[in-house]
Amino acid sequence: MSSIKSVVISCAGIGSRLGLGLTKALVKINGCSLISLQLEMFKDVEDLRIVVGFQANDIIEEVMKYRQDVTFIFNHRYFETKTGASFYLGARHANEYILEWDGDLLVHPDDVRTILEQEGEFICYADKSSEEAVFVKTDEHGNVLEFSRECGDYEWTGPACLCKDHLVYCSNNVYNMFEPFLPMRGIKVRAYDIDTYQDYMRVSEIVKNWKL
Amino acid sequence: MKILFDLDGTITAQETLPVIAQHFRVEDKITELTQQTVQGNVPFIESFIRRVNILGNLPVSEISNLLVKVPLYPKLYAFIQQHKDDCIVVTGNLSCWCKGLEEKLQCKTYCSEAEVVDDRVVKLKTILRKEQIVDLYKAQGEQVVFVGDGNNDLEAMRHADISIATGLTHNPARSLYAICDYIIFNEQALCRQLNQLL
Repeated sequence: MSSIKSVVISCAGIGSRLGLGLTKALVKINGCSLISLQLEMFKDVEDLRIVVGFQANDIIEEVMKYRQDVTFIFNHRYFETKTGASFYLGARHANEYILEWDGDLLVHPDDVRTILEQEGEFICYADKSSEEAVFVKTDEHGNVLEFSRECGDYEWTGPACLCKDHLVYCSNNVYNMFEPFLPMRGIKVRAYDIDTYQDYMRVSEIVKNWKL
Repeated sequence: MKILFDLDGTITAQETLPVIAQHFRVEDKITELTQQTVQGNVPFIESFIRRVNILGNLPVSEISNLLVKVPLYPKLYAFIQQHKDDCIVVTGNLSCWCKGLEEKLQCKTYCSEAEVVDDRVVKLKTILRKEQIVDLYKAQGEQVVFVGDGNNDLEAMRHADISIATGLTHNPARSLYAICDYIIFNEQALCRQLNQLL
């Protein structure tokens, strides 16, 4: 499955809430850049696409240390757009199914393998761990019924997989692109995004036990 | 859809002018000029006129035969062969120098033009502005993709619907980073993206 599904990692943002003065892809987790950890997890994905904007040159340079066959996509309007725009740009000329993956997201390696084997469209979510999260409401089978800023059964973390036929430009958040197609199959994963310094410290501890 | 390609360093696995310069032992004059041009430090038109002045008295047929031997990126060459009607080469090089390469590529090619007398360039007639070729195909209703790596591809990329900066032979000119849609450093990834576009 990995060879025919495109994976789009969105790394265009400025990472302002993290406060480390770096775009999140370049933040070091236990000595390794976040993007290098993701590259390791996606080493068997043929069509790996990385959307860049802020500090694009530095991200390209870092990625090229590990892998040369990545397609880099520019989101030149990274300052005034959100992850939806980056995903659209990364996905518009990709394969039929596109897995969206935020550049600040780390998922347990076993779950990454499971995700890459899935067919069709789906949305991944995790146990709630953040106060300012977007939540998902699910049915008894785990299908995603709704995204909510107020409450929900789980926390929306991504990744999520969309068919290119459903891809429409969106300057807002990437989950807004999936809303017209709900309900959609849901998959619970062990996923952690790094928005704040507290997230960064927590994820650094969690990752220590992972075998990549 | 039409896919327009720069030639030097994009389709050819070497820049062609240094090859000519080395063959005729004028590399000192050409190499630095080429580097400065690719990096955008010398305006392309000025650089091109200076190059033609240096190389113009060399035998045209010998240059053309020399350029046929310059290695091409094999996967990209195969892609162009498979999509001859949709692939177009757009190069600032002189058509008389690229005659052999043009026959090898078997697709439509746009070049700069010179007057040739007794196998020598005697006068530069036109310098190709690549963006005009982009505009030409857009005016025909085509969606235009431009693939290139140098600062002299900047305007063509700006005019194109989709622009791909390549770093196959050398890093793409930094000026392209500000306007291109894609940057690709690997031949296989480039061919994959081109197939996805078609």
